Amino acid sequence: MATGTRSDDIENFGTVSKAVGTVFRYVLLAATLFGIVVLGALLVYVANDAIQPLTADPGWHLTFLLTLVLPTLGVGGYLYRRDTDALRFGATTVGMTVVTLMFAGGVGMIFVDILSPFVLLAYTVGLALPFAAVLVLQRRARRIPFLTRAGVTTLAFYGSLFGLPGPVGTAVGVPTIVPGVPGLIRSVPTIPLGWMSLTATLGLGVAALVGVYAARVRTRRAGLFAGVGALAVIATSGVLGPFVGVTSVPAVVLASVAVVPTVVYAAGTVASRPSQRVGMLVPAVVIGGTLVGEVAVGALGFAGPQSWVDWQFLTSAHSRNAIDAGLYPAIGGSILLMGTVAVLSFPLGVGAAVYLEEYAPDNRFTRVIDVNISNLAGVPSVVYGLLGLGVFVTYLGRSTGTVLIGGATLALLILPIVIISSREAIRSVPNEMRQASYGMGATKWQTVRRVVLPRAFPGILTGTILALGRAIGETAPLIMIGAPSVLFSLPTGLSSKVSAMPLQVFAWSSLFASEDFYTKAVPAGVVVLVSVLLAMNSVAIVLRNRYQSEQ
Amino acid sequence: MSTDDIVDDLTRDTQNAPAELLTRSFFFVCAVLSIVTTVSIVVLLVTEAAKFFSITAPLMGVEGPTASLVDFLTGTTWEIGNRKFGVLALVSATLMITIGSAIIALPLGVATAIYLSEYAAPRHRAFLKPALEILAGIPTVVYGFFALIYITPAIQTVLPGTGTFNLLSASIVVGIMIIPMVASISEDAMSAVPDELRQAGYGMGATKFDVSTGIVVPAALSGIFSSFILALSRAIGETMAVTIAAGSQAQFLNPIDPTAYQEGALPMTAAMVQLLLGDITGGGLAYRSLFAIGLTLFVITLVMNVISDLIAQRYREEY
Repeated sequence: MATGTRSDDIENFGTVSKAVGTVFRYVLLAATLFGIVVLGALLVYVANDAIQPLTADPGWHLTFLLTLVLPTLGVGGYLYRRDTDALRFGATTVGMTVVTLMFAGGVGMIFVDILSPFVLLAYTVGLALPFAAVLVLQRRARRIPFLTRAGVTTLAFYGSLFGLPGPVGTAVGVPTIVPGVPGLIRSVPTIPLGWMSLTATLGLGVAALVGVYAARVRTRRAGLFAGVGALAVIATSGVLGPFVGVTSVPAVVLASVAVVPTVVYAAGTVASRPSQRVGMLVPAVVIGGTLVGEVAVGALGFAGPQSWVDWQFLTSAHSRNAIDAGLYPAIGGSILLMGTVAVLSFPLGVGAAVYLEEYAPDNRFTRVIDVNISNLAGVPSVVYGLLGLGVFVTYLGRSTGTVLIGGATLALLILPIVIISSREAIRSVPNEMRQASYGMGATKWQTVRRVVLPRAFPGILTGTILALGRAIGETAPLIMIGAPSVLFSLPTGLSSKVSAMPLQVFAWSSLFASEDFYTKAVPAGVVVLVSVLLAMNSVAIVLRNRYQSEQ
Repeated sequence: MSTDDIVDDLTRDTQNAPAELLTRSFFFVCAVLSIVTTVSIVVLLVTEAAKFFSITAPLMGVEGPTASLVDFLTGTTWEIGNRKFGVLALVSATLMITIGSAIIALPLGVATAIYLSEYAAPRHRAFLKPALEILAGIPTVVYGFFALIYITPAIQTVLPGTGTFNLLSASIVVGIMIIPMVASISEDAMSAVPDELRQAGYGMGATKFDVSTGIVVPAALSGIFSSFILALSRAIGETMAVTIAAGSQAQFLNPIDPTAYQEGALPMTAAMVQLLLGDITGGGLAYRSLFAIGLTLFVITLVMNVISDLIAQRYREEY
């Protein structure tokens, strides 16, 4: 007996039961998926409430299944097995189309209802003139002392924007003798059409970027052609837009923000990596399938779903009636807030990160700043709202709930996040590059500007986009600073009252709580808000993956 | 150009050149701004809260009604209309949300971290990590709506006595919201455990299960605990989800009574939103109570953040 047991022992030596480990592994997997699956299910529910796909005719579903879903799955499956790089390129093009279209919607909204293109033109010229003058000055005379140069630059920009002696003169009682360039342009009796101004500003800028990109991928000649071509496309869209049912200004925005960049990205990738050309099948199938399906559905008379997320919802203001309620002022408010937050938090956050990583001596004070920033990141957002309320409203006596106060409060809120992520990006720049720059005799600032910041820029951008996503979803600070939960018109400037998408959703789900709002307006608002955030997050994630694989 | 000029040019003092000075001071000001923010938060909360309490109000030169500090800290009724400011009623609700979300988020977060750091193939990680980030990126107002519209009815079918506004649904969504925070900080701690320790374990004949639970988790324990505290401090400060889902009726509940979670209550952050949405005019007692709650909230989260820092630093294993 004893010998039998021993030989069993020997036979079993080294074999271990896998049961516990396997169970553990699947428990871990289930735990990992739990949150994702729950959130996914909730998003499906809310999308179902908002879009109501089941109200469409079966024929509608069948048409789109045949024209869009099956071809896309076919092409996707084929590429997945043959060439995943091409598939990734194709999917990126489709994603870029969607994201740029959303972005174009936002930009278009600004130029249609908030900022007239002519004003933009006036200020662009007002900025471009002194910029060119300073550039010429630097080319001609290199050995001007720094302080003189800085003084001349400041004076040129100030004079061009505000006139001489301008607001400073007015403050001490001297009337303005020479008017500023924007004022001068705006006083010209004949003003160009909106789309022309926009082509000359936004369109020209986009075309210049396209030209630089093409020149880098190919030759200078190609860059020139691409730039001129892009400008021609943008200008043509302004002329032809009204004939296909889009007014000129949105058509120019659409062309310069969505169409031209996407086409240039696709063309540039095809030109530099011909092996991935086959990936263009994906956008062709998706966009073509959507258009064909749309035409077929119209011809056959199949009704689409009774979605609550429709043109009416996106373009009208709040209403007591859930069916008529819309998100337009809130979308505009969110866009303006995001712009203000970006302008305030980006330079300050990056500046603090540069100081802490590149300049700060290793002493007690630096450590205090360090600890302080990580603690600020943990302060609840509602406390930042109190800060905004107390400092801006109570002590500085500003009126409540304006774009500027909301933007400043949100900027303070995301500043620690921007600083922390920018520091990580700056830290990942290899030290050898800094040493090489110093070895060539560069000063600290030259090294930071020409070596560290360009190299860290994609990482900084990713962190900033994620932080902006956080800011756009915040509600509590806006409530604290007294932003109105119901607003019927778009904010027109920095000092007008602002609402925001999450605030509007909150108002519908608490102040106007009713079955109607719960099943119509709120799900639609949630779908719009979540789509915007998903778009921003995926841009950040794609940027980061690309940047990490390059390093 | 004379030789002197060239020598002068080559040996110029770049550290204190105007451009260098200007940029350095700009960056310095940016960094100092964070200190200014903290100081202004503290000063603002302390001075405004001081105007609220009867002990300190005369020092601030405030006349009119004030509230007793002792009643504020020990009272259990929060009724603004009756001038009863017992913050414990609000703290109890916040505590219950924190406990409820901790029960969900802490085990799931640590399990996620172990899976991501020890088990997941790189391909799966590349999908799971962004998905978790999105979990953290969904606005809290959306989570609140989910809790109210989808989760509460589901709870009501299981536990019929649950109110429309209840702490359970709020705890669930707050728990889901903070899973990514626990997971990502814990995973960082686990990834920092050197591979030699794992290899030594395998060399002794340990299985992957033994290595994960017996070596990696204990070695990363300080990081895991600091992630717990940070996530809980986030749960305490969470505002919109609890405002929408937990209700507006302040009441003192017993946090360790499971049935109490079926009732609605008013957490600190929700009370602040409620105060702001009601008609309060600057300078009133209700307005100043806002800052008293804010100060309480700020102190609690600050203490938790500091403790988390201390744990991470003191018990960090140096490899």
